[in-house]
Amino acid sequence: MSQRRIGVYVCQCGGNISDYVDVERVASQAADNADVVIARTAMFTCSDATQADIAEDIRQHQLDGLVVASCSPKLHTLTFRGVAERAGLNPYQYTQVNLREQCSWAHTDDRKGATDKAVTLVEAGIGRTRLTEPLNPLVVDTMPKALVIGAGITGMRAAVGLADLGMEVYLVEKQATVGGWLKSMDTMYPAGKTPKEIIDQLDEQIHQRSNVTVFTEAEVVQKGGTFGNYVVKVALHRPTEQTISLNVGSIIVATGFDVYQPEIGQYGYGIDGVLTLPEFQDFLKTNPGPMVYHGRPVRTVSYIYCVGSREGREQPNAHTYCSRYCCTSTVHTALEVFKHDPGVHQYHLYRDVRTYGKYELLYSESREKGSLYLKFAADQPPAVERTGDQLKVTVNDLLTSRKELAIPSDLVVLVTGIIPRENDALVHALKLPVGKDGFYNEIHPKLRPVETVVDGVYIAGACQNPKTAGESAASALAAVTQSASILKKGKVQLDPQVAFIDASECTGCGACLKVCPYEAISAQSGDNGQSAYVVSEAICKGCGGCVPECPVEAIRVQGYTNAEIRAMIDGLLMEEVEQI
Amino acid sequence: MATLVNPNLIDQVKQSDAFNAAACMNCGICTAVCPMGIEHLPRELFRYVLLGLEEDLLAHRDAVYSCLLCRLCEVNCPAEVHIAGNVRTLRHYLNQAVFHVKRMPRARKATTG
Ligand SMILES: Cc1cc2nc3c(=O)[nH]c(=O)nc-3n(C[C@H](O)[C@H](O)[C@H](O)COP(=O)(O)OP(=O)(O)OC[C@H]3O[C@@H](n4cnc5c(N)ncnc54)[C@H](O)[C@@H]3O)c2cc1C
Ligand code: SF4
Ligand code: SF4
Ligand code: SF4
Ligand code: SF4
Ligand code: SF4
Repeated sequence: MSQRRIGVYVCQCGGNISDYVDVERVASQAADNADVVIARTAMFTCSDATQADIAEDIRQHQLDGLVVASCSPKLHTLTFRGVAERAGLNPYQYTQVNLREQCSWAHTDDRKGATDKAVTLVEAGIGRTRLTEPLNPLVVDTMPKALVIGAGITGMRAAVGLADLGMEVYLVEKQATVGGWLKSMDTMYPAGKTPKEIIDQLDEQIHQRSNVTVFTEAEVVQKGGTFGNYVVKVALHRPTEQTISLNVGSIIVATGFDVYQPEIGQYGYGIDGVLTLPEFQDFLKTNPGPMVYHGRPVRTVSYIYCVGSREGREQPNAHTYCSRYCCTSTVHTALEVFKHDPGVHQYHLYRDVRTYGKYELLYSESREKGSLYLKFAADQPPAVERTGDQLKVTVNDLLTSRKELAIPSDLVVLVTGIIPRENDALVHALKLPVGKDGFYNEIHPKLRPVETVVDGVYIAGACQNPKTAGESAASALAAVTQSASILKKGKVQLDPQVAFIDASECTGCGACLKVCPYEAISAQSGDNGQSAYVVSEAICKGCGGCVPECPVEAIRVQGYTNAEIRAMIDGLLMEEVEQI
Repeated sequence: MATLVNPNLIDQVKQSDAFNAAACMNCGICTAVCPMGIEHLPRELFRYVLLGLEEDLLAHRDAVYSCLLCRLCEVNCPAEVHIAGNVRTLRHYLNQAVFHVKRMPRARKATTG
């Protein structure tokens, strides 16, 4: 038996665990291990008082290993790493054992079975802890420069924000002009500045700042280097084709969205007078005063909401989400129409009105001005057909006893949603995490809303999910803050639980290199001409994908070595679980 | 057969007086509190007018006349619809357009409605 000095803490979780597991038995069986010098239970291990007790035990008993058997490691790994660190124990010599989600909650009907299982889980934790070695976080220097991809409102606002924090900024835009979707819009909600004024203002602010460089008609083609020191290749299409290389510490992706394009025939799309919302907004822009469409005066407009949004899962590639901007944009557009001509009749065929927050006032105003709302059920969508000079929209109105109504209309507007933009080359170059819905994924929707699993790569604006302009600007500034908080310090700490290749054992077969999803492994030619393989600690994510590939066990993830995993398996298979 | 929506009815009704039912969000409070307990009072009626379903309006004209004008609905309406006022407007419209009632002599006005 080793000479380790391990402390084990078994949590009751206020009954969540102790109602189904005999925690006293779990602690006493843990204490049977010669190197477990202290084993205790606690009502709430994560409470401040118990944290202080653990820290005190670590100091007093000079513990060199810690096992906390409580809830999911997702919840409290950082909590107990902190406890260890404060008491002078290396945080990587602590092991979290999950007795709640993976034991008590799963076996509420079998106290003895659950307790036996808990004993083995803790034994596995002790087995691993016994073999832990102190690990120290990697510290890498960071470059005080940032790359922003996409110059819509999000990218432009981010560039100005970063520049004002003293960062060097490169703003790369695929199109010839900056501004994204907003640059071609005439009006927008909420009232105030027009979209053009907003984009012009941001453009001017960018030009005033000497530390922002804008590249239009340009695209990111490759990312190399490591977190804090990325080397990005950008293809410039103007004035001449050339590729430049930029060194940056972080990258903000702000590549925006696309608008859903209905199929021909969907809600009558293709028939003269059936337009999408952006097409209708364009029409209004070029039609001051009373509306005339293709020579005919427009007296009646019917809107069909949720086209290409909130689709049923049974549809292939369904856009199941709500596009968020469109209810309010339609209500706002209807109010604009009343400015053109207060006598126009406007019928809104909706599923739910989602003019959330302050935009409720626009909804009220549109009703007061005479817009009429008819509610249809998802499984009974309206139908559009042309009859003579007019269009006819047929709908079962849930608000009028499901009566089937036919609305003669001069124009039908399909309220089309937001869809993810195709950007395969960029996704590939940056290894961007793409969600099931096609938008880019953050690490945590509430707590880490702009960070991605790729360190130093942030997402902001409508490339992440449907957002309004204001929400896009807010997320841009969140990404600015996250970026700056790393780059400003000049260095960053990385998790040391990464792969390591023992050069004396590696045969240079290259099997690991082929599977690494992050391209963290590279070959380096050694003195004898034979290639030796090394892992870049700053790139490796510690996923462990390479480990089982190595035929000679030369590659291992620190903190999860094969020996540690085997010790855990032995613990789980321990005999004589039951105490008589 | 679908009932045809007719935008002209609301224009006519509006001309006769202030008819502000478009703000109605169809919550149903008015129907719930109405002491007359008539299902069509008043929100369904308002929709018939807004949508121009004249036949439905006529079919339920008894409801228009059975309203007590007590305004219990109105004080409870979250959208500040002038419900009783609207009912009066509808009566006025039906009187004129359907029953061809001539304008009431002033002296009798106090006893009507
Ligand atoms: C019809 C309509 C009406 C709307 N009305 C309103 C409104 O009234 N009020 C409101 O608040 N919001 C409104 N919105 C939402 C608003 O448009 C978005 O919130 C906003 O445009 C999001 O900005 P963004 O910069 O994230 O994306 P975008 O505007 O899409 O900009 C993204 C930019 O990135 C560039 N890009 C893409 N890929 C690459 C690449 N690989 N490399 C380099 N550059 C790239 C694009 O060319 C583009 O310039 C409306 C949306 C629509 C569709
Ligand atoms: S915002 Fe409104 S129209 Fe757009 S998808 Fe959501 S519910 Fe439908
Ligand atoms: S642990 Fe994962 S990221 Fe690290 S080298 Fe192995 S495969 Fe690559
Ligand atoms: S798989 Fe193992 S032996 Fe082969 S190159 Fe990788 S570390 Fe070396
Ligand atoms: S209470 Fe007011 S808002 Fe609600 S249904 Fe009646 S009239 Fe409409
Ligand atoms: S005013 Fe008429 S509709 Fe309103 S509660 Fe009284 S009786 Fe009913």
